[in-house]
Amino acid sequence: MPSLVIDRVTKHYGGFRAIEDVSLSVERGEFIVMVGPSGCGKSTLLRVIAGLEAITAGKVTINDRDVTALEPADRGVAMVFQNYALYPHMNVAQNMGFGLKMSGRPRAEVEAAVRRAAEILRITDYLAKRPKELSGGQKQRVAIGRAITRAPEVFLFDEPLSNLDAALRSQMRVELSRLHKELHATMVYVTHDQTEAMTMADRIVVLNAGVIEQIGSPLDLYNRPGNLFVAGFLGSPRMNFFRARVETVADGAIEVAPVGLHERIRLPLRGGSVAAGAEVMLGVRPEAFQEEAPNGIQVTATVKVVESLGRETLLYADAGTFATTASESQEGYIAVHRASQQAVAYGATIRLAIDPRDIFVFDPKGPTLRYPERQLAAD
Amino acid sequence: MTVRQEAIATPSALPSAHAKPVPPRRRAATPLRLYMLMLSPALVLFGVFILVPVVLTFIGSFFTFGLTSPTWSFAGLDNYLRAFGDPVFRLALRNNLIIVFGSIVTQIGFGTLLAAILDRGIRRGSTVFRTLIFAPMVISAVAVGLIWLMIFDPNIGPLNKIIIEIGLRPPTLGWLGDPNLAIWMFLVVAAWQYTGFMMVLVLAGLQGVPTEMYQAAALDGARGVRAFWYITLPNIRNILIVAVLITSVGAFKVFDLIYVTTRGGPANATEVLGTYIYLQAFNLGNMGYADAIAVFLLIIAAVLGWLQLKYSRRA
Amino acid sequence: MSKLFRFRVLTTAMYGFVIVYSLFVLLPMLWMVFAAFKTKREIFIDPLGMPDSLTFVAFGRSWAIGLGAFLFNSAVVTVLSVLLIVLVSGMAAYVLARSDYPWMRWVYLLVVVCFAVPVHSVLVPLFQMISAAGMLNNRLAIALPYAAYGIPFTTVLLYAFFLDFPRELEDAARLDNCNRLQTFLRVILPLSGPALASASIFQAVFIWNEFLLALLMLTRPALKTVPVGIFELTSEFTSDWPAVMAGLSIAIMPIVFIFFFAQKYFVRSLAGLGK
Repeated sequence: MPSLVIDRVTKHYGGFRAIEDVSLSVERGEFIVMVGPSGCGKSTLLRVIAGLEAITAGKVTINDRDVTALEPADRGVAMVFQNYALYPHMNVAQNMGFGLKMSGRPRAEVEAAVRRAAEILRITDYLAKRPKELSGGQKQRVAIGRAITRAPEVFLFDEPLSNLDAALRSQMRVELSRLHKELHATMVYVTHDQTEAMTMADRIVVLNAGVIEQIGSPLDLYNRPGNLFVAGFLGSPRMNFFRARVETVADGAIEVAPVGLHERIRLPLRGGSVAAGAEVMLGVRPEAFQEEAPNGIQVTATVKVVESLGRETLLYADAGTFATTASESQEGYIAVHRASQQAVAYGATIRLAIDPRDIFVFDPKGPTLRYPERQLAAD
Repeated sequence: MTVRQEAIATPSALPSAHAKPVPPRRRAATPLRLYMLMLSPALVLFGVFILVPVVLTFIGSFFTFGLTSPTWSFAGLDNYLRAFGDPVFRLALRNNLIIVFGSIVTQIGFGTLLAAILDRGIRRGSTVFRTLIFAPMVISAVAVGLIWLMIFDPNIGPLNKIIIEIGLRPPTLGWLGDPNLAIWMFLVVAAWQYTGFMMVLVLAGLQGVPTEMYQAAALDGARGVRAFWYITLPNIRNILIVAVLITSVGAFKVFDLIYVTTRGGPANATEVLGTYIYLQAFNLGNMGYADAIAVFLLIIAAVLGWLQLKYSRRA
Repeated sequence: MSKLFRFRVLTTAMYGFVIVYSLFVLLPMLWMVFAAFKTKREIFIDPLGMPDSLTFVAFGRSWAIGLGAFLFNSAVVTVLSVLLIVLVSGMAAYVLARSDYPWMRWVYLLVVVCFAVPVHSVLVPLFQMISAAGMLNNRLAIALPYAAYGIPFTTVLLYAFFLDFPRELEDAARLDNCNRLQTFLRVILPLSGPALASASIFQAVFIWNEFLLALLMLTRPALKTVPVGIFELTSEFTSDWPAVMAGLSIAIMPIVFIFFFAQKYFVRSLAGLGK
């Protein structure tokens, strides 16, 4: 039985369509991460689940109860806010127990629930402190503790880690994953940070302009993005996109001419249809560039930026007319990922080889036409 | 870990907020009615004590009527025409304008200077100075008027005594008895009471200028007076505009100070719009004429008040 | 060397200016207190000097004409008006800050219009209305207008405060099972303390000192407030300056006392005028 069902939910603000006919089913114990660019409706959808926003059409069900018309407190959800939203005039214990207290629970029960939650988060030492006296990370723990205290059926997180510094953020990521496993809780998590999405999610929901682009496991979305948007959204640096024209279509394969190259590449399609003369987009992940590729295309490029990260290296290279579009660098540089330290400097010339088997093909306005024939992660 | 899991268990094992036996409430309907209910006391008070009187002032300005007389006779524009031919009205207006411009120069000038010194010039004692200089602001204008009435008193006033001590001659008619002198003395008293207010206002603006900006300016070679000119002043420009407007409105509305010291005398020499409205309405019984002058004051105040809110939102 | 010298000269000049100005502010207040302790003879002979002895005779003379009653009346009117102002403005400001209805902009504009109207310009109809309602010599005759004319500024002040009030706290309260009233009482109100204190103290000082309406509306001696009361000291004690100054000292004391303790809030509210 799904823990949370969002059924054809629509939310309009006047003429603005924040969410358009969105449906989603979340299994009990699942960790769902909703990602998307700012303004895509992910936070609105979370607030709809919480009951903080009334919806224009649709239905929200939590554990088979239709909660569409219920007050937030009666829905069995708890929410962790981006800015923590701790009550400044209450101490930590009061903050955590406020919901149960307002529900008229006996004091002993409230205290027990607060203590249990505090133990789980290891914040028993701060129970008597005011939020003002806590650091950002501690406040975040208290905010999570407040949610745990209420023992909700669904946990909601609204970009909870975005106010933390990088070190604390990765620490809290691990912590949240641990909590999820320990509590067997259903969690819905909104973020714009794809690292958080990739590392924590059982399934990722990619939202754009109020509609769901794709739902799937992190690797599923990374390896088989359903369209150009999803392909560009997951992965850092972004996938390199090259414009190309379809020359011929035959035997379930196409021959394309990338803009800026003389070569033509023959690529077998897997489903989808395209006509000769159509514009398509070729996609190549930064880690797909090799030094040599017997059957592939070779380009030489000039290194413009080197980012040495220690265990890996990112290169941004200028291949002249063979330029990327809508990529990380505005200048059309090609992003290249090398899994080792590299002895290259600004201005150096490097050879980039692309194996045809690693190339994605996208219809610019439609679904993915072709996925790579092999997964690099498995190599 | 296992122990913890049992403690928290699954959500259904723990009593939780939603599971209590009371029936869940429906979402509250649009809170429009609640909002209207919360707005209504303010709207009622505005209507009864501000808007209706404003309308009645306009209407009254076209009639002739007395304080107690039940009969109103239509006067058309007579009250307004009368004002333009009335030398006392013109004198009152002139006095108001002197107080407006004099107050802007003295209160905002000294206030800005003091604020700049207290903000960045001196360290020690700045809180004490600020508190002291600001203190007259909270004293009622009546008390301020009476204190200065004593100071200006020809017989027992310290001012005359000091003037004589240093070998000068105090004014023969007294500080407030001399029509040419009295209005300037009011400027001194007004400055005494309100300069601290302007200082605090400007100080708040000065403290809003980030220190980094001064550091950046210092790197660009602007320090001291040049930093004040190129960094501070542009940053507090809107605050200064608001200060000018507040001072202007206050100076047009001046009443208490003049009423308790000279009552507009001698011979209407220190009359201002506020005291003249009061005189015409409640001493001479020319209610319609008083309304016409009041309309004049109302228009000035409305324009200045509107400008004030316009600029204060940008400050 | 010369740079240091110039710095010293400048600093000295700045201290000098501030000290001279402070004396200009301080001396009149000192003269008031000194005069209150002098005898009528003393003040005539030596206006500048300190009093010879600490005699409270003048205080007794001015207290005898009913200063106590004036203080009481002012306190009643001030408390009543300020409570009304804060309550009414708080509700109005909250609605203005939280509702999305487009016509709320007109309500805000109305508040601004009311802010710009000086009470001096509506004296005639106001007096006639109060008179017709039979409310002359009733404390409400000034308390209600004070409230009406204090609400616009307070509403603008609290509106800015509520706009900055984190909405997430209200969302969190809803998730924590608070209805609107509980959210207001348990979350918003406890956190509005400083803003409400600022607004209250500013209005309290203004109302405590108001003269014009109090002069017009309350003519019965038993109802007069401090400013009107002390004004009439002058006709009561022609040329008895020690008694007048003693009366002023007593009348000013409460407000100066409040000012020194609540200065922070008062200044914040005034500074809000410029924001």
